[in-house]
Amino acid sequence: MSLYEICQALQDSAVGTSIRESIWTFPIIETVHVLGLAVSVGILVMLDLRLVGAGMRHIVAADIMHKLKRWYLAGFAAMFASGALLFWSEAEKCYRSPTFRIKLTFLALAGLNALFFEIKYVPSMKNWDATGVTPSGARAVGWVSLICWLGVIGFGRWTAYGMK
Amino acid sequence: MIHATLPFFRWADHTWIAQWIRDSTWVFALIEVFHLFGLTLLLGTLTVLNLRLFGWGLRGYALKSVATDALPWTYVGMAVSITSGILLFVSEAMKCYGSLPFFLKMGLLAAALLFTFTFNRNLTQADPPSPVVSKCAACLSIALWFGVGLAGRAIAFF
Repeated sequence: MSLYEICQALQDSAVGTSIRESIWTFPIIETVHVLGLAVSVGILVMLDLRLVGAGMRHIVAADIMHKLKRWYLAGFAAMFASGALLFWSEAEKCYRSPTFRIKLTFLALAGLNALFFEIKYVPSMKNWDATGVTPSGARAVGWVSLICWLGVIGFGRWTAYGMK
Repeated sequence: MIHATLPFFRWADHTWIAQWIRDSTWVFALIEVFHLFGLTLLLGTLTVLNLRLFGWGLRGYALKSVATDALPWTYVGMAVSITSGILLFVSEAMKCYGSLPFFLKMGLLAAALLFTFTFNRNLTQADPPSPVVSKCAACLSIALWFGVGLAGRAIAFF
């Protein structure tokens, strides 16, 4: 079974069809997707802004990461769960959508970037975070994260627009 | 009462900018993308501030510090959302006129803005309010702003 056929089967499945044709379910899932995004990515953007040195002078990056962790993780969980359901209902359309592929690429890059930060800069965070001098590599991580999430949001919205 | 506003909606719907947005296939989508960028910044920073106000999240920090750090970016998000929102509105003014969620959203938005520029703004200067007031204010602020988001999303669907 090719990826295309899997997507087609998903879209045509009972769950996919009932979400797509529902009056309330689809709008509710989309709303959860957008609000989950606002909370999780919104908090992440604050961390990125701190890393690149654009404000957030009073708060150290480690505290944004750790003290707000349960909140942005909850937001991410809501966003991914609702995103999976939206994909389920329109999988075949997503497969054919170039903007959806760009969105997923940005999402993967954002994940790799976060992983790189976790491995390379988080272990030594205690040494540089409180000094207010962010290593240039960590600053680059902040910029890459900002760009990737702008890409995810932008191409995500564009994907929905292209499907109308 | 809503009938009295009809000429305004009609005027907005007929402006050249509204027609320009409608005639283009991609300008509307681009403006919506910016609306979403602004909303993310706005709701994200307000979530952090209101969590602290409630006594959660960045607990180790003075409320004043969190407010001073978060609010400038809240205002940036607000400026982006409102500017793009006005453009989206004019391009669909007549649709908005017939939309109950639109009027609900505008009502909530007015209340949310008023609350942000009075109560939240004071947090950067004055001493923190009592825990009870803080908790109620945090709930109200989150309810108002997420209400704006919910009602906004509903415009597209109903």
